[in-house]
Amino acid sequence: MKAILVLTSLGIISLLAEIFRFRRALYPIVILGLMGAIATTVSYWWYDDGDFAKYFGGMINFEDSSVIFSTIIISTGLLWFLMSDTFFNKENPRTDLVALVLFAMVGAVILTCYTNMAMLFLGVEILSIPLYVLAGSRKDSLSSNEAAFKYFIMGAFASAFLLFGIALVYGATGSFNLGVIGQVVEAKKEVLPGFFMVGVLMLVVSLLFKVSAAPFHFWAPDVYQGAPTHVTAFMSTIVKTAAIVAILRLFLSVVFDDITSFWMPVILVCVGITFVVSNVSAAVQNNVKRMLAYSSISHAGFLLLAVGAFNAYSAKAIVFYTAAYSVGSILAFAVLTNVIKDHTGGPVESFNGLGKKNPFMALVMTIALLSLAGIPPTAGFFGKYYVFNAALQAGHVWLVILGIIGSLIGVYYYFRIIIAMYFKDANEEASVEPSKQHQLVMFVTAVIIIVLGLLPDLILGIGSAAEVVAAK
Amino acid sequence: MNLTLTEILFFVLSAITIISGALVIFSRNPVYSVLYLIVTFFAIAGHYILLNAQFLAAVHVIVYAGAIMVLFLFVIMMLNLNETTEPKTALWSKFAAVIAGLTFLPLLVGALKTSEAVVMTQPQNSDIGLVKTLGQVLFTDYLVPFELSSVLFLSAMVGAVLLGKKSTEETN
Amino acid sequence: MSAIQIIPIEWYLTLSAILFGMGALGVMYRKNAIILLMCIEMMLNAVNLSLVAFSAHHSDPGAQVFVFFIMAVAAAEVAVGLAILIMLYRNTGTTDVEVLNRMKW
Repeated sequence: MKAILVLTSLGIISLLAEIFRFRRALYPIVILGLMGAIATTVSYWWYDDGDFAKYFGGMINFEDSSVIFSTIIISTGLLWFLMSDTFFNKENPRTDLVALVLFAMVGAVILTCYTNMAMLFLGVEILSIPLYVLAGSRKDSLSSNEAAFKYFIMGAFASAFLLFGIALVYGATGSFNLGVIGQVVEAKKEVLPGFFMVGVLMLVVSLLFKVSAAPFHFWAPDVYQGAPTHVTAFMSTIVKTAAIVAILRLFLSVVFDDITSFWMPVILVCVGITFVVSNVSAAVQNNVKRMLAYSSISHAGFLLLAVGAFNAYSAKAIVFYTAAYSVGSILAFAVLTNVIKDHTGGPVESFNGLGKKNPFMALVMTIALLSLAGIPPTAGFFGKYYVFNAALQAGHVWLVILGIIGSLIGVYYYFRIIIAMYFKDANEEASVEPSKQHQLVMFVTAVIIIVLGLLPDLILGIGSAAEVVAAK
Repeated sequence: MNLTLTEILFFVLSAITIISGALVIFSRNPVYSVLYLIVTFFAIAGHYILLNAQFLAAVHVIVYAGAIMVLFLFVIMMLNLNETTEPKTALWSKFAAVIAGLTFLPLLVGALKTSEAVVMTQPQNSDIGLVKTLGQVLFTDYLVPFELSSVLFLSAMVGAVLLGKKSTEETN
Repeated sequence: MSAIQIIPIEWYLTLSAILFGMGALGVMYRKNAIILLMCIEMMLNAVNLSLVAFSAHHSDPGAQVFVFFIMAVAAAEVAVGLAILIMLYRNTGTTDVEVLNRMKW
């Protein structure tokens, strides 16, 4: 809860910075503030969970899983801010952009701790509305406009479905509180009206929209490619983590666990389609940014597979996977923004000869791509391993096989970039040299990936506490 | 069969809602669409009054018909869109739209064969739509979302200004 | 005396499902961006109607408070949506969504 306050105040401070002319000091303030937000979030680990329901009217509950996912989200946000100084011009920042990013993070944190449908809805909206604007923040670029508009229409459409789902579930159970809904569902499983099932189905579909799983992914490649690259990095890490946590809290807790036979097939079918569609589409792309967009859709498939496994391993797998995937994506996008300046991305050939021009960047990009492809000794390998383990325990053998085939296709398209970096001759372009700060971000993220890949137990022990106790 | 006044009102309002809603979709001219949408909103406000949600009906008319639709009209006038310049919709997308519309058939079926599971549990209370009751609930149980919606408004405001203003100073 | 005691909840649900379906149909059918926005408003109103009916049915003011939140979010969404629309119009000179096909699937 304190994290929400800290992030909101930071957003307001950055708006005040415009008025009171301390814009130059804003960037360090935000970085320090985010560190403070991480510290306050982590401190809740030792708190008693029971207090929250008492103080906040049963609207939020900051339990262990909320602490873990909020920490992942805010830390990713901190890394994102460090890599995005060029996005809002560190020396003389665009304060409105800073404020919007911080407000979006407030929404993401709400999604990790909601215990009431009203908070779910508000969290989704607080996350989405700043992002519609950020996607269109390059006002002169038509592809940015297009991304903003498509994202807006699809987001609003999905929100309408989410609301109708909430309304129908409310109608059947008489409450917006997740705990009460869970009790009613358990007690009256047999006699729930038909429209309750339709409502649950609509909730699933709208959240799959938000997490951009196939076949509800069709907006994502265009939006991810058209938006400014830094915003794409934000969308494919923080937004994806927040959306998957929203699904986790709703479906992997006591709320709908008595009717798994109803919503589970939908998620599993979507996972299968996602594996096939996203990887095949990514393999035929030549634009690196668009390829990363499709790859982020395929990672959504892996996260959903862990949800679909629905056992004791799911939460653990999701914690590890979101952490590994977020760090890897931030690193890949940090390199991408330095290599390709055009905000709609560029062909794979842009990476030609990077191994000679800038060995450091080529090395960290290789680490990021190996992690995204799931090759040891990187964090991504263990992420995929735990997801597959959870799925096998649940008996989804076919989906695991599809996932492995998808990962193999993934190896093909990730290695195209690695081959371009090391085995192709450089174009005549001038050398690229990232700033000191970017080098630091790249170094830190690369180290995190390797450390998590060598010592996965570091985060796994925490992850086992992530099972959503959910709403009392 | 003899209908009570309430039932007659319900059917009349429903007919207005559905017909004007259909006209919103099928009008060629956006200005007509806005006007029909306002009619729809008034019909829905009528439903709210029938359901004893008087305060909500007032707020609904003020917010939707008064603010949101005026915003729509303003934009239509500003961009001078009141001519029918829209191209014909392609056949396949008409087909897709009809398929999508038909997806709601299961919902209708589900709604119609509702079992007795949703019997009224509490005694009917006609005071729930009053300002006093709503205010009490809003500022006790729903205080956290109420406060957080301010973040939503702030970001919408900043965003609308950011997108709407002419780009003069930014360099990146 | 509330209408919910005379009119079955199923009728309200059917009405709001029809309204929601028409809105969804409009979003897919129409090509004019501003009418897409209106159709989304219509969908949100369908939700509001069903929530108010359920609120009367359960005698619970919570759902009516939820409707306030939906109205607030709808207003914020429209403000941002129209700003995006104006930005789009400045760059393309049209509000026809067919021009938005620069990037292929």
